[in-house]
Parts: sequence; structure tokens; C-alpha cells
Amino acid sequence: MAVTAKRITALVNGFMLQSLFLFLMTLTAAVTSKENELYIIALLVLVLKVVLIPYFLKWIARKIKIEEGLGLYINPILSLLIVIVLSYGAYMFSRNIMGIQNRVETASFAISLSVLLTGLFIMVFRMKALAQVTGLLIMENGLFLAAVELCGNMPFFVEIAIFFDVFVFAVIIGIFVFRINELFAHIDVDKLTTLKG
Amino acid sequence: MNFLKPNFSLSFDPLSSFFVFVILLISVPSAVFSVGYMKNQYSGKKIALGWVLLAAFVMSMAAVVLVKDAFLFLIAWELMSLVSYFLVIFDSEHAKSIKAGVIYIIMTHIGTAFIIAAFMMIFKYAHSFDFAAMKQACAVIPAAQRDVIFLFLLIGFGTKAGIVPLHIWLPYAHPQAPSHISSIMSGVMIKTAIYGLIRFVIMILGVNTFWWGNLILILAAVSCLVGVMYALMEHDLKKLLAYHSVENIGIILLGIGASMVFSVLNMPIPAALAMAAGLYHLINHAVFKSLLFLCAGSIYKATGLRDMEKLGGLIKTMPWTAASFLVGAMGISALPPLNGFISEWLTFQALFSGALYGTGSVKILMGIYAAVLALTGGLAAACFVKAFGITFLAMPRSQAAKEAKEVAPSMIYMTGFLALMTVVLGLLASPVIKILSRVSGYVLSADVSAMSVSGFSLNNLVVMPLAGTYLSSPLIALALIVVSGVALGLVLLFYGKSKVTVDKTWGCGYYNLDSRTEYTATAFSKPFRIAFSFFYRPYHKKEKIRDSYYHVKSMKYETSITPLFKKYIYDTVISRVFGTANFLSRMQSGSIHFYIAYIFATIIVLLVFMNRF
Repeated sequence: MAVTAKRITALVNGFMLQSLFLFLMTLTAAVTSKENELYIIALLVLVLKVVLIPYFLKWIARKIKIEEGLGLYINPILSLLIVIVLSYGAYMFSRNIMGIQNRVETASFAISLSVLLTGLFIMVFRMKALAQVTGLLIMENGLFLAAVELCGNMPFFVEIAIFFDVFVFAVIIGIFVFRINELFAHIDVDKLTTLKG
Repeated sequence: MNFLKPNFSLSFDPLSSFFVFVILLISVPSAVFSVGYMKNQYSGKKIALGWVLLAAFVMSMAAVVLVKDAFLFLIAWELMSLVSYFLVIFDSEHAKSIKAGVIYIIMTHIGTAFIIAAFMMIFKYAHSFDFAAMKQACAVIPAAQRDVIFLFLLIGFGTKAGIVPLHIWLPYAHPQAPSHISSIMSGVMIKTAIYGLIRFVIMILGVNTFWWGNLILILAAVSCLVGVMYALMEHDLKKLLAYHSVENIGIILLGIGASMVFSVLNMPIPAALAMAAGLYHLINHAVFKSLLFLCAGSIYKATGLRDMEKLGGLIKTMPWTAASFLVGAMGISALPPLNGFISEWLTFQALFSGALYGTGSVKILMGIYAAVLALTGGLAAACFVKAFGITFLAMPRSQAAKEAKEVAPSMIYMTGFLALMTVVLGLLASPVIKILSRVSGYVLSADVSAMSVSGFSLNNLVVMPLAGTYLSSPLIALALIVVSGVALGLVLLFYGKSKVTVDKTWGCGYYNLDSRTEYTATAFSKPFRIAFSFFYRPYHKKEKIRDSYYHVKSMKYETSITPLFKKYIYDTVISRVFGTANFLSRMQSGSIHFYIAYIFATIIVLLVFMNRF
């Protein structure tokens, strides 16, 4: 959904949906492992990634009044095909690493890896600065998934710190995007090349 | 994670103690000197900062020579480099200071990188950074690797010591730092590199290859000559002194290198003698070089000038500083009975004994090194005749020099103290050598008791069989004093009553001479510029503006020398680096998408690559 999105709202919605699934995953993990920390983390996912950040991104998009289009380098269908190929590559890779008999680990690692790659793909092949922000957030989701599924979870404080980081990152980038728009009247990252030294 | 639990204990073995002594001997007078020097020159806050940095600097140097763990050594070493960098750019309002600081920090980091690499290679075998463990492990390292480690250590410490061609930072950094700092940097800091060489190459790695010592000797001989020759051409007083540091490091390394050669050839006594000579020259150079730098600081404080061509006549207005400078200049020119003479004489003895008792190529090479050292001594003397004569004698060449006043007592006392040390280290040569031979015996783990039985006797080195047996150095000094006293008495007897005529200096009776007709530093060094033109590659430019053929309205004459090492080594490297960077900058499209795409492509390639294996 995020890959085929042509408009910023759609992309953010995709991210929101993904984060919702992430929240459900974490909640399941919390219920099965009965760790209080995981409940808190799941709550944080819900609050930050499902509600606050998407809301913020949409607010920015509205505020700077740009046209909705993301600026695609590669059309949705081709993008989808590429991402499918990437996911296949990720699956092969994780099967190589985990071994064939560990099916659950293989699958979850493959999923998180393909989420990572998808985020990166969005960052590369979409023009608008907000797409880069969302792409990075999607990558972060992939990392988080890998951490929860493979290692149980990271140490609690690390987790909290990462959440804080992500949130602050979203805010800062949002402000930057805002400023870029104010200065250049567009947020096409592509047109910032004249700034290079 | 063995190395994260370093051995925090300090070692006070003879070698470390000797270096701590040298550090304190120089740092304390320099610190006291700085009270008068920094006053009225910097704001109160800056002075406080200067003191904090100075204290950190001295402590880090002491830590460098005291620790027993290579990990801590690196930390102390980096701390020393960083603090000294901040001290170099202490006068940060001058663009020159910043440039000097940049050159210094780049060079010193290149050096440290090599040192770290060498330590890592030893660590691979020792699994510990403790000196004792490293020493044990070094016995089993294969020969080829030992050579690499040695070369890395030599480059690393050589950069800090300033051996040619790694000396490039000295003439920039030393003159830009405040004078008391230049005195510590030049007097002591570059000596910590000598400590590193002795500690890590001789004591830990262990010398058993002939060419190591020879390489050091060749580099040392080149450093001697290059240092003194560039010093001769330099008219900035502090730059001149900085180049002399290159020369003197060369002399010290002649002793150390000879000692390494001798210990490989299984000649313990000459090895210990050479090492003692090197260490003796080390402490001597520390004393007279910091003395000279402090005097240059006094001159700067009094006149605001460092360019000798604008000084002159200071002996009348600053007699005490002039006297101290003269003592230092005599010491560094190796005039007896001052300390420089003793240590250079010892170095000669070591080299001669190599030439006499060595075999094969050693015989010839040692003779050549001795000849180089002799030439160096001569040129150094000429250089200091220039430095003293142009700076202190004749008539002042500028208004600032004319209005100079003697500096504050605290500064005079400290230069006086160091001048006294210059004399004392010269006169008390035999007890000092006794102590130093103990240090060198410890370093080489050789039995030097034969050397210190009845005082220091050189009988086993029959280069000058009578030396040391009939005349001890205090006796020689006494004889010298008596002879010169008698000579002075005779002069006074015959000429003392004659009337003193007051006339202009060097006037030759000519009626209208001013400072512009005086001999200049450039003129003084002209013969050398001609004699060594193959090395200096002097460059002249004449420009005449004429009304007609017969009337030249104004004339301009420019001369300079080609800085060979900068031009042919460093400039080449730098231009290559910039060329490569320009080439690579084509990759920099400036588009964020491309940058992310690079990462993306890298990840994909890595994934595929991992799949393969």
C-alpha cells in the first residue's frame, strides 16, 4: 500500500496501517511472554507511530499546502514488482542465515528485512522530502520488528530512547521540510542539488 | 576485553625517572617565566586558560613517560598532542597560528596512527598492552613483522620528534606558540618521542637487526644537516630555533642509532656509551633550547618582533637577556666548557670507536656520520654567530628595537637559571655521565659496571687514551678559567688605561652611518647560500625602475630559497589528494536520492554477496 501510493496522505496512511500491525504484533508478544515492559512498548507504538506521527505528517502536508503528488520516479506497478523481487531476495537471504528448519525465525526476519528495503526504496524513488521522512520511519518499523521478533526485545531503556529519537526526528524533519518549503516554495528534494559544494 | 583493564601503576625505572627529571627541569622555569611573559599580553581569562593548558600539558607529558601500559600510553600521548595543539593556536587571532595548528595536528595524527598500528600488531601476539607482556611477546614475532612494526614506530615517533622528512610541522608550530610553550614543546615534548623510540624499539621490541640502527643513523645524519642548513637561512628567530631542534634531534638520534648498531654487533660498552651520549645531548638540548626560546620570548615581549632583520643593538638595552642568550648560543654551538660540547664530544667518541673497532661497512659509515656531525657543528656555530650578532649587536634596525627595555625579573631569573644549568651540565660532566651510563645500562640491560668503576673512564675506548685519566673536566674548566683570566688581566694591563673613545658601532670612521648600512642576516648567510646552492636552490629577483639608463629610480631585490621537502614531497602528496578528491566529486551529484540510492545499492550488493557465501 505504501509502495503503490501516489499521494502523501496515502503514503502516511500506509505507514499508519503498518504501525498498527506492528502494535498488534508487539501486543501479542507481550501477551505470550507476559512482560510488562512489552505492554508499555506496545502502548508507545500505538500512541507515537499510529497516532501522533501520522497526524503530525498530515498536518505538515496540509500546512505547507503543496500539491498532493509524491513525485514518482517509478510508476506504482513497477515499484510493486521491484519490491516483490526485493522481498524474495530478503527471504532467500534470511533462509541462508537462519537455516531452513527455523521457519518462524526465517519468516519474521524476511519480513522485517523486506520492510527495511521497502522503506529504503521509497526514500530513493520518491521526490518529495516528506516521502523521505516516511520512508525512514518505515525502515525504523522494520528494525523494530526484527528486534521484537528475533531478540525478544531490546533493553527497555534502549527501546524508550529509540522511540524518543524517532519522534524527535519526525518533528525536526517536519520543521526542516517546513523551512525548505518556505525558502524555495517547493519540497522537491531533487531540486536542492544546487546547494552542493 | 583485556586491554580495558589497563595496568594503572606507574613505573619509576631509571629511564622514566630520567625523562621526568628533564620534563620538570624545563617545565618549571618555563612556567615561572610565563608569569611575566603573559602579563599585559593577554586578558585575565586567557591567562587562566593558559595556566590550565600548561598544567595539563606538563602532566600529560609526565604520564607519557611514566605509564607501564601501552593503552594508557596512547591516551596520554593523544592528550599531550591535543593540549599542545590548543597551545599552538593560543594566539588564535593570528591566521598563521591556525594554519600552524592545522599542520601540526595533521602531522601528529598521522604519527599517532602509525603508533597505534604498531601497538595493535604487537597486541596480536601479546593479548595485553602491559609493557612486560608486550616485551615477552615480541620475542616470538616473526622477523618480517618485526621490521614492519619497527618502521611504523619509527614513522610514528619520528613525526613527533621531527626527523627529516617528517619535520615539516616544527618550523610552523614552534614559532607560533607562546614562547614558554615553544620552550617546553621544543625542549621536552619532542623528546618524549625519543623516549618512545627507546622504550618501544630498544626495550620492548628488542634490536636484533643491523639495518634498524643504520636507518636511524642515516635519518639522523640527514636531519642534522637539513635542520642546521635551513636554520642558517632563517631570519625569524623562533623559526631558526625550531630548525635547530630538527638538527639536535638528529644529533641525539646519532647517539641512539649508534647504540642500536653496537648492540647488534655485540659491543656493549660502545653501545652504552653511545646511548649515554644521546641521552646527555637530550638533556643538554632541552636546557639550552628552552633557554634560547625563552630569550626569544623576552625579545618578543620587549619589542614585539621576531624578525632578526628588524632587531639589533639589544645588548645595550637588555644586557641580562643578551648574556643568557649568549650562553645558550655557545652551548648549542658546542663550545667548551659548556654542555653542548660534552655531549657532542661523547657522540664523536662513540662514532669514532665504531669507526675504529667496527667491521666492514660500519667502519666507513661511522666515519661519515662523524664527518656529518662535524659539519653540523660548524654550521650551527655560524648560525648562532648570526643569530646573536644580528639580534644583539650593532645598531637597532627599527624603532621597536630602539625602545626595547629589559624584561621583568622573573623572566630574567629563569633564563639565568637555565644559563646556569648550561654551565653546570658542562662542568659536572663526569658525575652526569656516571648517572646516564646507569640509565643506558638499564636500557640495554648491559653490564656497565666496568664503565663506572673509577669515575667514568674511557680507557677501554682508546680513541684518546689520555682523556679522563690525567685531566677531569672540572680541571680542564679550571685551566680554561685561569688561562682566560690571565689573558684578560694582560689585556687590561696593556690597554686598560687607554682612553675609551665613544663612536658609532662598526663605523670605520665613516661619518653618516645608520642602521640601513649594517650587515644583515641575509648578507651574513649569503656565503652559505652560494656554497650550498645545490641544496638551497636559491631564487633571485631583481626589479629596477629607471628614468633613463643612467638613473635608477628605485630598485627591488628579492631572494629566497626553495623549500625542497615541502615542494617535492608534501606539495606533491597534497595535490594528489586534491586531484583524487576532485575526481571523486563527480560522484557527488548533490541529490539526496542518489546518496540514498548509494546506500540502497550497497545493501543489495551486500545481501547478494552474503547469499553467495
